[in-house]
Amino acid sequence: MGSTSAENNGSAGVGRRDLIKRSAALGLISVPTMSFLSACASSGGGDSTSKAKAGKKTAKNPLGVNDTAGMEFVLFDGGFGKEYAQDAVKIYQTNFPKVKVKFSATQKIQSTLQPRFNQGTPPDLIDNSGAEQMDMGVLVGKKQLADLTPLLDAPSYDDPSKKVRDTLRPGIVEMGQFDGNPVWIMYYAYTVYGVWYSQKALDSLDAQYPKTWDEMLAVCEKAKKKGIAGWTYAGKYPYYIPFSLYPMIGKVGGREVLDAIDNLEPNAWKHPAVKACFEAYYELYKKGYILKGTPGLDHIQSQTAWAKGKALFIPNGSWVENESANVIPADFNLAVSAPTGIDSSDKMPFGTIWASGGEPFIVPAKAANPEGGMEQLRIMLSEASSKNFTTKVKSLTAFNGGTSGISLTPGLKSGVAALKLAGDNVLNPRLQDWYVQLQKEQIGVAGLGEMMAGRSTPAEAIKKIQGFADAAAKDTSIKHYKHQ
Amino acid sequence: MQHGKYRFIVGFLALPLGLYALFVVWPFIQSIYYSFTDWTGLSPEFKMVGFDNYKRMLDDEIFWKSLQHSLLFALVLPVVTISLALFFAFMINVGGRRRRGGPVISGVRGSSFYKIVYFFPQVLSIAIVALLFAFAYNPDSGAINSLLRGIGLGSVQPLWLGDPSLALWCVMAVLVWSTVGFFVVLFSAGMASIPADLYEAALLDGANRVSTFFRITLPLLWDTVQSGWVYMGILALGAESFAVVQIMTTGPGGPDYSTTVMVLYVYQKAFRDGQAAYATTIGVALLVVTLLFAAVVMRLGRRERLEY
Amino acid sequence: MKTTETSAPVPAESGASVSKVDMPTDAPAKQKKEGNVLNVFSHGMLVLWAFMVVMPLLWAVMTSFKDDSSIFSSPWALPDKLHFENWARAWTDANMSDYFLNTILVVGGSLIGTLALGSMAAYVLARFDFPGNRFIYFLFIGGMSFPIMLALVPLFYVVNNMGLLNTIHGLILVYIAYSLPFTVFFLTAFFRTLPTSVAEAAFVDGASHSRTFFQIMLPMAKPGLISVGIFNFLGQWNQYMLPTVLNTDPDKRVLTQGLVQLAASQGYKGDWSGLFAGLVMAMLPVLAAYIVFQRQVVQGLTAGALK
Repeated sequence: MGSTSAENNGSAGVGRRDLIKRSAALGLISVPTMSFLSACASSGGGDSTSKAKAGKKTAKNPLGVNDTAGMEFVLFDGGFGKEYAQDAVKIYQTNFPKVKVKFSATQKIQSTLQPRFNQGTPPDLIDNSGAEQMDMGVLVGKKQLADLTPLLDAPSYDDPSKKVRDTLRPGIVEMGQFDGNPVWIMYYAYTVYGVWYSQKALDSLDAQYPKTWDEMLAVCEKAKKKGIAGWTYAGKYPYYIPFSLYPMIGKVGGREVLDAIDNLEPNAWKHPAVKACFEAYYELYKKGYILKGTPGLDHIQSQTAWAKGKALFIPNGSWVENESANVIPADFNLAVSAPTGIDSSDKMPFGTIWASGGEPFIVPAKAANPEGGMEQLRIMLSEASSKNFTTKVKSLTAFNGGTSGISLTPGLKSGVAALKLAGDNVLNPRLQDWYVQLQKEQIGVAGLGEMMAGRSTPAEAIKKIQGFADAAAKDTSIKHYKHQ
Repeated sequence: MQHGKYRFIVGFLALPLGLYALFVVWPFIQSIYYSFTDWTGLSPEFKMVGFDNYKRMLDDEIFWKSLQHSLLFALVLPVVTISLALFFAFMINVGGRRRRGGPVISGVRGSSFYKIVYFFPQVLSIAIVALLFAFAYNPDSGAINSLLRGIGLGSVQPLWLGDPSLALWCVMAVLVWSTVGFFVVLFSAGMASIPADLYEAALLDGANRVSTFFRITLPLLWDTVQSGWVYMGILALGAESFAVVQIMTTGPGGPDYSTTVMVLYVYQKAFRDGQAAYATTIGVALLVVTLLFAAVVMRLGRRERLEY
Repeated sequence: MKTTETSAPVPAESGASVSKVDMPTDAPAKQKKEGNVLNVFSHGMLVLWAFMVVMPLLWAVMTSFKDDSSIFSSPWALPDKLHFENWARAWTDANMSDYFLNTILVVGGSLIGTLALGSMAAYVLARFDFPGNRFIYFLFIGGMSFPIMLALVPLFYVVNNMGLLNTIHGLILVYIAYSLPFTVFFLTAFFRTLPTSVAEAAFVDGASHSRTFFQIMLPMAKPGLISVGIFNFLGQWNQYMLPTVLNTDPDKRVLTQGLVQLAASQGYKGDWSGLFAGLVMAMLPVLAAYIVFQRQVVQGLTAGALK
C-alpha cells in the first residue's frame, strides 16, 4: 500500500545498448526452445520402438509369444476392480517364468496413455474403459490398433481343438469390428441391460413383472398407494435411461428402428415406435411414479434409494449388483427383466433384451509385444479365468458358458435366465460406442433428462434429439459408422 | 545504480525464465500450434487445416454457452467472494465495540477464532469439497434437503443440481464457500496494518462504521483487493471451476448445458471425443478471455496510490 | 500492529458506557440504535458463516464412521457404532502413508524452489527498468490463464526427453515452473510497494545488486513470501493433473492421486464410507498444521501489510 517509485517501469527510452539486451532476452527463451524442438515434436513419433521378436509357435504357445520379452498391461480400475486381472497376470507369469510383466491399474486411461500413443510406445494390452476411455473410432481410423484375428483363430486355452472365436458369446466378435473383417476390440465382460428390481418388493405388492405398459402403470399405481415410487434412474447421468428405453423401442418397432437410429438416418427418431415409447415413459413422470428428487441423483445415489425400497424399478446394467453390493439388503432378491412393451401389437416378443460386451480390451498396433498382449487375453478367455471373474465381480464374460459349477448370485442368475428367455432376440444398439457425445450429452442429458424431469414434452424431446442426430450425421470431424 | 545491472538482471532471470520457458511456454506454444491441425491426441499423425477449427468454434453453440457461463463465473464469483470477505474481515478487525481502556479500534469478540475457522475450507482440495457438496445437494437424502424437512419445510425440496435454473448457482456457491476464508485472512492482514490514528481521526469526524469502511479501509486495501480479484477470476475461469463442474454437475455440464464452462468443454473435447486439436482451439479462446479479464480488472482498478 | 486480540476481559458493558465512548462528538440516540442493529446483524453473519464452514467438515468426520447404507438413510444421525474398518480400508487401499511422504517431499522441494526463483524474477521485474521487462512480465502472467491439461502431451515429451519422468525431482521442477506465473505476479506487485530508499542506501554503500537483494530486500519481503508461499503450498498440495501424467510409478504417487483413486472408486463401487474416511485422513493433517501455525501465518501476513 505504499506509494513509491518503482512504477516507472515503462519504456523510458530504448537505446542501442538496450536493443542488444533485448536480443539477449529473446535468446534466453529461444535457446532451450530450439534444442528441444527436434526432440519433442510429437509429429516425430514414428516406429522407433524395437519390437520384441516373435517366439516359436508351439501347441502350448500358439501365438508364438517371445518367452523372454516383457509384457505391459494397463487396466481400467473401475467397478470390476483389478483382482481378476491380477489373477490372470499370475497365470501368464507362471506360463512364461522368464518374463517380467508390468501391470498397472488406473482410472485415467487417456491422460496416462495418450502421450505414449503419440510417442509410439504404448503398452501391450489395455482395458480401454471408464470416463476417460480413448475414442475407439479415432484409434482405429489412425491405425493404432492391432487386428485381433490371430487371437480369435488361435486354439482356445482349454480345448486345442476349438478356436477362441468359437468359445465366445454371439455378437462379441462383431462388436469388435468397425468396417470390414479385422477385429480391433475384445469386449471381455458381457452386460445384460434392462429393468432391475427386487423380486421381494414385487411379491409384497402381490404383483408380477409387467409385460405391457398398462400393467406397468397398474403396478406403479399400486406401489404409489403404499408410498413407494415406481421408478428412479440416475438423474444426473440420464444416459442410463436408454438401457431399458432402447430395447423397448426395438421391441415395439423392430430391430430396424434401432439400426436406423444408430445409422443416423434422417427422421429415424420420428418413427411411431419411438414416439410411443417416449410417451409411455413421460407418463411415468406425469402420473407421479418417479421418485421425488430423481433428476438430482447420480447413479450411486439413485441405486441406493432404489436398494432401500424407495422405488421399484431402475434402468441399469448387470454391474449394478456389484456396484451396489454394500447397500442391497440380503433378502432383496435382485432380478432383471427385459423391458416392458406397449401391448401385444409389438413387433418383437416379450423377453427381447439388450445385451452386449463391456470392458473393451485393445492391443496397440505399435505395442512392443503384441503377441504377449493377445496371449494374456487368451488366458483371460479360459473357462477358469472367466469363472474367476464371474465369482469375483458378479458379471458374465464374453466366454460362452462359465457359469456351471459356481454358485450364482440372485442378479446374475436372473440375468442368465433373461438371456435364455430372449433367445435370438438380443438387441445391440451401438450409439454409446460410436457417438459418445451424442449418446451421453445430447440424447441423454439434454433430451431424455429434460423430458423425464418434466421440463419438455416427448414431442419436443424427439425434435431436439433428431436435431442432434442430424447435426452428428453432418459433422465431418467425427467418423461415421453403419450397421453391416 | 547502473554498474553490473544487466549482468545482475540476466543472472537473476535466467533460471526462472529458462525453467518457465521449457516446461510451460514451450508446451503451450506447441499446443497452440495444434489448434491449426486436425490432431486427435491419440496418434502422432496430423495435418495442417488452417483456421478450420476456429471457424468451427464460432459456429459451435455449446462453445458460446460455455463462454457465457465462464464469463458469468469470472464476474459474479470475485464480486461475491471479495465482498463477503471484506465484510467479514472488517467485522473481525474493526467491527468490535470500543471498550473503556481498550484500543481505539478492535475486532468483534472471538475474532481470532473466526480467522482460524474461516480458513478451513482453503486447506481442502477442491475435488474433496466438490464431492462433499455433491452429496449435500442430493435431493432425495442429501444433507440440505433433509435439513429443510427437519425444520418443517418438507414442501420445499429443490432439485438443486438437477434443476437447470439452479445448478449454476449451486456450483458457484461451493466456490464461494471454499475461497472466502482465504481472502478474509488476506484482508485481515491488510486491515490490521492500517494505522489506528486514521480511524481515530475518522471517528472524531463522527463517521460510523460503514463510512469508515468506505473512506479508510477500502482505499487503503485497494491493491490487495485488486490482486485478489484477478486471482479469483482466473481461478473461476480455470482450475477451480473445472473440478466442481466436472465432479458435481449432471452430465457433467448439464442439465441441458446449463453448467458447461469453457475449461470443461476443453477437457471433454480432448479426453472424451478424441478431438485434441479442437480442444486446444477452445483453450486459445480461454487464454484470450482470461488475459482480457486480467487487463480489464487492472485497468478499471487503476487509481492513485494512497500514502499514509 | 496487532489490533485483533479481543480476549482481554471486558468490563460489563452498559449501553451508557458504549455511547459515551462510541460517540465522542454529540451522540444522537438514533445512531446508537442503528449501531446495535448492525452489530447484531453482522455478528449473526459471522456466526452463521462459521457454522456453515464447520458443519460440512464435522459432518464428513462423522460420516467417515458410518456404514454405507446409513449414510443415505439418515445423513444427520450419529453413527450406530464407530466403524473404524472404513479407516482401515482407506488406509490400506489408498496407501496413504507412502503418499503423504511423497507429497511432503515434492511440495517441500517445490515450495522452496518456487519462492527462490519467483522472488528473484519478481524483484528484477519490479525494480529494474530494462527492455523486454513488460514482455517477460506478461509472458509470466499469461501462464496463469492457459489450461494445464492442454500442455500435458508436449510437456510429457519435454520431461521424458530430459529423463525426468517418474522422478520426484522432475516433478518438483515442473511444479516450480507452473507456480511461477502467480508467484511472479504477486511478488512483483509486492516488491513495487517496498520503499526504495533502503536499497538505494545500501547500494550507495557499495553493496552489490545481489547482496542488496539477499540481505536487504528479501528479509523485507518476508511477509509477501509467506503469503505467496501459502498460495503455492495449497496449490501444490492439491495439484493433481501434473502428477497423473508425469508420475505414473505407483511407488511415487502423491496424495491427490491416491484420493482421486478413492473418489473414482466411489463412483464404481459405492464405497462412500471408505471415501469419507480417506477424505478426513487427508484433511486432518493439513488442518492440524494450519491450526498450529496459524499464528505465524497471520502474523506473517499482517507484518507484510505493515512493511
